[in-house]
Amino acid sequence: MVIRHYRWHTGTWAWILHRLSGMALISYLVLHTWVIHHIQRGPEEFDALMEFVTSPLFKFGELGLFGVILYHTLNGIRIVLVDLGWTVELKAQKITFWALVAIGIIALGLGAYGFFH
Amino acid sequence: MKYTVTILRFNPEQDEKPHQERYSIEAQEGWTVLDALNEIKWYRDGSLSYRRSCRHGICGSCAMTIDGVNRLACETQLATLKSEFVVEPLRHLRVIKDLIVDMEPIYTKLLEIKPYFIEKGPPPSDHERLQSPEENKKLDGLYECIICGSCTSSCPSFWADGEYLGPHAFLKVNRFVADSRDEGKAERLKLVDNRHGLWRCHTIFNCVEACPKSLNPTKAISALKRALVGGQF
Ligand code: FES
Repeated sequence: MVIRHYRWHTGTWAWILHRLSGMALISYLVLHTWVIHHIQRGPEEFDALMEFVTSPLFKFGELGLFGVILYHTLNGIRIVLVDLGWTVELKAQKITFWALVAIGIIALGLGAYGFFH
Repeated sequence: MKYTVTILRFNPEQDEKPHQERYSIEAQEGWTVLDALNEIKWYRDGSLSYRRSCRHGICGSCAMTIDGVNRLACETQLATLKSEFVVEPLRHLRVIKDLIVDMEPIYTKLLEIKPYFIEKGPPPSDHERLQSPEENKKLDGLYECIICGSCTSSCPSFWADGEYLGPHAFLKVNRFVADSRDEGKAERLKLVDNRHGLWRCHTIFNCVEACPKSLNPTKAISALKRALVGGQF
């Protein structure tokens, strides 16, 4: 039993989000394979499914997917930088985190523009 | 200044499970959490148990979780806390009583990685084992550990795997791996290259946040990872 949960620092957030985005990507991969496997069921069935997955709802989903990929990629780079010993100081890893978050948000904005324009 | 201290208390001989107890204290200026605990133990409730010895941050006995972060009670000024704060024993170590935890896992892991100087040949008979000031400088930030357990018990990888060696052990490994005089590099690296070793570190940095001596176990881990991977080529 604990009274107060352990404090979440920047690194804790980065790690939890990395896990969650990683799991989301694995689930997406399964879904993606499932969708693509319809191609061997003939053009009608595949086209019908394609129609379904190009609906506006999925468009938002795709943007979300792009966000998840972005996060996992950028934080992955942050971890590589830590393992290379370049940003392994407490402050440096935090700055890298927020810098990459900023880059991620910009990229996501550009992505949204591309998706909906 | 008035403070309300909530303490997670547990006496395995009497209690079935831990419970919280609140104490209101009147603190003097400059008091630390250890002073607050002393006030409670000496004048209010003598049954409260915690470890302390040096009371100036060098023995490492008084590590505990204060307001959700691991710190030394004797070095945490009340002035840095809110008027209500929580004190809990270090996480994922067996509670012996109240704030006293069983540190055995921390020590066992330290012993596992051979925390002593290894030399293959006989020692020099006419002089000490010398190293240059530059070589000695490489050990800064690696040898100052006081083995308080703050880092390892703050680490989610340790929470998930009780056999994980833990940041304190890696810091010590690197203390010897980085030592120009030590000849045990290969065997030490072998000891940390397993599923309860280096690779379970997820660079969460909780250990660095927790270390009361401002040391950086993650840096040691990253250096060890590079030494291990570099050794493959
Ligand atoms: S009492 Fe020695 S470190 Fe706090």
